[in-house]
This record gives sequence, structure tokens and C-alpha cells, in this order.
Amino acid sequence: MNGTIIETKNLTKIYNGKIKAVSDLNLEVKEGEIYGLAGPNGAGKTTTINMLITRISPTGGEAIVGGYDIVKNSLDVRRLIGVVPQDFTADEDLTGRENMMMVSQFYDVPRQKAQENSNTLFKLVDLEEAADRLVRTYSGGMRKRLELILGLVHEPRILFLDEPTLGLDVQTRTQMWNYVKEIQTRLNVTIILTSHYLEEIDELADRVSIIDHGKVLITGSPEELKGSLNGDIVTVTLTDQKSAELMKTMQGIVEVNEVGPNTLRIKVASADESLPKIINFISQHSLSITKLTVQKPTLDEVFLEYTGKTIREAEGGDEARKLAMNMRRARQ
Amino acid sequence: MSGLWPLTVRELKKWVRNPTFFFTGLIQPIFWIALFGSAFDITKFFSGPEGGLAASYILDGAPNYITYIVGGVLTTMGLFTAMFAGTQIILDRSLGPMGRFLSSPIRRSSIVFSKIISSVIRILPQAVILVVAAYLIPNGLKFPHGFTVIDALIMTTAIILIAFIFSSIFSVIATRMTNMQSIFGIVNLVNLPLMFVSYAMFSRQMMANWLGDVAQYNPVSWSAEAIRTVIINGNLTSSQWVQEGRWLGALAALAAGLLLMTYYLVEKEIRD
Repeated sequence: MNGTIIETKNLTKIYNGKIKAVSDLNLEVKEGEIYGLAGPNGAGKTTTINMLITRISPTGGEAIVGGYDIVKNSLDVRRLIGVVPQDFTADEDLTGRENMMMVSQFYDVPRQKAQENSNTLFKLVDLEEAADRLVRTYSGGMRKRLELILGLVHEPRILFLDEPTLGLDVQTRTQMWNYVKEIQTRLNVTIILTSHYLEEIDELADRVSIIDHGKVLITGSPEELKGSLNGDIVTVTLTDQKSAELMKTMQGIVEVNEVGPNTLRIKVASADESLPKIINFISQHSLSITKLTVQKPTLDEVFLEYTGKTIREAEGGDEARKLAMNMRRARQ
Repeated sequence: MSGLWPLTVRELKKWVRNPTFFFTGLIQPIFWIALFGSAFDITKFFSGPEGGLAASYILDGAPNYITYIVGGVLTTMGLFTAMFAGTQIILDRSLGPMGRFLSSPIRRSSIVFSKIISSVIRILPQAVILVVAAYLIPNGLKFPHGFTVIDALIMTTAIILIAFIFSSIFSVIATRMTNMQSIFGIVNLVNLPLMFVSYAMFSRQMMANWLGDVAQYNPVSWSAEAIRTVIINGNLTSSQWVQEGRWLGALAALAAGLLLMTYYLVEKEIRD
């Protein structure tokens, strides 16, 4: 559980000599964990993944995946990783099972073994009934599940999931999350996950790196990152101004602002610990309140804090879009 | 090359499962032989014993025009089918399967060789249907000196080699291209010159001198002539065998060279 399975040192990718997609990126992924990569469009997530899965070669730095160098031993790397790319890769003219058996042959999985795996994997993602139907009859969610199977046929040690729930509805997304958790625990694989949806990273990842402009800005568990924002927000609305003034004098709060008539926005280190104190203070001083809400920071706020995405949008949404388009073109 | 077998099986499954693709491919040879055989038949203007001699002269001794062009039509059909091997590569890239292939440990070349091999396999039933159709139509294909297993082998070899030659050229082009229009453009640009600057439809005697000179370097001519010679002559003389060996040898050398080139270029890079 504790060994390092992926390590990058100053990993760099410059497209066409000028577009710097990934720049001196350092990552360390531990065996058995789900590791999230979050970042805005054009941050370098997919480029990083593509280098680690040896689809493209880096222009600088190095990376070791499962003990193998991604440039010198790319074939060994490919043998021990499974990939679920952003786009669908299954052949529409074949059935789900035929796709699965074909990909098994790519990895020299013996036929008998592949058939056993096929039963297990189709059951794992609830796709047994559709296994022998042509993929062209599948819905988007079914195709995504088939992609999970195709990434797992050879029992990889590491699974790369690039935006696994992009374009899926909310129900299917939650379902996918369950499959991913199931895969991690039952098949004992390390999972690298990229996502636009921060609640997805929050839900699934043991640790996460926030990436922007091709660099890692911060790494930690979702809890640590949220904690790094220094506190939760408790909003209290009291019945009169006098009570509000009294409330402001309470000890042990980080910051307090009046944000509306008799309404205080109280920043505390931890709502779990501070809430009982606030309630005690209210009852001790016989204050009466009309409303009390607690807001814990989400990863979205962490993301905004570190990427300054709102700032970037304000100063140049066009520029960001152009950069993303250039990168997509350079990748082709 | 752990990918070659499963990928070739995949191509063949896709072919058999797509009825339009499958049946049009099988019907097409009948159209070709019937239409080309009637449309380009110049010997209909000749009559009488002298006309017969003239016809025999310009048809290299063939009893009728259909017998003459079977070798050419077989070759052209091989050429056309092979040129489309590349389009499958572009489709795999735009529809997604290429991503799966490239992230797996199979050799890059097995992706392309599976297209080449499957297009060669697709041509064979077409070739059989074409020969049978040519034989059955009125005033059709005649084997003046019989038809042996060796003749059949020589014909098959020539068709397979021509298919290897052109499917490898067009597959390599496709691995370097991202859009379908460009490859169709190239196919359209070269297919008619390849077909008509050759002895596929017309003999050298019927051509302008310069055209006849250029046509002898076209592999389409080599294949057409190799097939035609065994059909028209049956038992070959030793000098005819030497000539036959030259044509097939040149085709084999070219095919081997191109397949080797394909291997090296494709192992180096397939555009993502």
C-alpha cells in the first residue's frame, strides 16, 4: 500500500517547440491509492496522462511507471497499465464481449483466462445482459462501462481514468463512482483519475494534485486541501441588532463580518468543534436566532483559490480557449 | 506481433457484418467485366478473316476482348480495393479504436498490416466471382489451351502482390494523415492514370507510343500481363516462362520493398 508506483521528475512537454503543455511536473503516486488530477481546461492533465501511458513522449524530464521508464521501457509500461481514455475506443461493429476478447489478445491473455475475466468484469459493471450485443446499440453510460472493462482485461496494476464521467447524467455518474471504488478495492489497482468535476475527485480520490499551466500547484488529500483554506463558515441571523453586537464578542472565532441586517458571517477553524460553542453562547446569553447555516469549504473553493480561474476568465477567456485549441491541434 | 491476428479477424468480421460493403464488393466484379468488356471492345469494328487477324494482333492473340481484359480487370479491382485500406486507418482514428490500439503493447505495424492482409483477403472472393462471371457471359472468357492449377496459382499470386503493393502505399499515407478528404483526393488523382497508363485495358499496339513506353513501368501492367499470358497461352514456352518470371519477380520485389518500408515507417510513428 505504501510503495511509490509512479514518479515524475521535472516532466515536460513542449508542442511544436513553443506550446508548453506540461512544465517541470513532479508527481508521486503511491501503490493502491486513487490519485486525482484536477485543473482547468488546457492545464496539462491529458498531456500528462498521455505521457504516462506512453502515447506521446516527453520533451524533458523523466517518469517511472511501475518501475519502468516511460521512454526507454515504454512496452513494459504499456503491459502493466490499463487505460480508459476520454473518448470511446470500442468498435461499434463488434459486440461488447468481442471487443473485450480482442483487447485481451493484445495483452496475450490466454483464451481460457480471458473468458473467466469476461464473466467477472461484465458482472462487475452490470453489463452482462448487453455483453453479446453490438456496441452500436449501447447507450453512452453502457459504452463508458465497457471502456472500464477494456481497461481491465489484463489485470493491470495501474488504471488511468481520463474524465470517466464526462457527458454522463447525474445518476449514471454516481453509478460510475461506485464501480470505480469497487474496482479499486476488489481488483487492488492504483487508479489515476482526471476530472473536471471536483465533487468526483472529492468523492473518489485519496489524494489530489491541482494542476495549472502544466505545473502542480498543490497536492494533498481532499480533506487536507479543504482544511488548508482555514476554516468553515457559520452564518447566524439574530432577531435584533443588540444580540448581533453581543454575538460578535464571542471568543474562539477567526473572523466575523456583518453581511446583512442582524446577520453575521462567522469564520471558524472547524465547524464541528465551533458549532456547539456557538449554540452554548446563544443559550447562555438568552439570544434568539431565526436562522443558522454551516458551510464547509468544497474542493471548488480550493480550486479557485489555487488556480485563480475566475481571474483568468476575467482577463482572457478567449486566450484560454485559444491555448486549449492550439494544444488540441498540436496533439493530433 | 500479438495484435496482428485479432486485428485481422476484426477487419474480416466488420466486412462480413456490413451487408452493403460485403455484397457490393461481390457484385462489383460482375459489373466491371460486363461493362468494361463491352465498352472498350474495339474488335467489334473488325470483320472478315483479315479483321480477325488484326483483332488477334492487337489483343496479343486473345480470342476475344473479354479474354484479353480479364487480367486487367482483376488487377484494377485489386488496385481499387487495396487503395481503400488506408481509409479504414483514418476511420479507426476518428472513431476511437486507434486510441485503444496505441495504448496497448501491440506492435504499431500490426495495426497497419491487419488492414493490408484483410484487404488482400477481401479481394480473393471478388477475383473468383469475376473470373466465373467472365466465363459465363456470352462471348466471354475463353481458355484456348485449358486452365490448370498452376494458371490459377499464377493469377492469384499476381493479384495478391498488386494488392500488397497498393494497400501498403495507401496505408502509410493514411498513418500520416488525419482527414478522409485528403486520402480520397489522392485516390481519385492516381486511380485513373494507374489504370489507363498500363496494359490493363488496352494492349501496347493500341496505344500512342509514348503511352506504351510509360505503361511498361507500371506494376499494374506487370500483373495484367502475367495473368493474361497464362490465360491466352496455356502451356508456356520457356521464353514465356522467363517473361512471366520477370513480371512476378518485379511485383514480388516491389511488394517486399514496400512492406518493409511500411514496417519501418509505421513502427516509428502512427499519428494519434
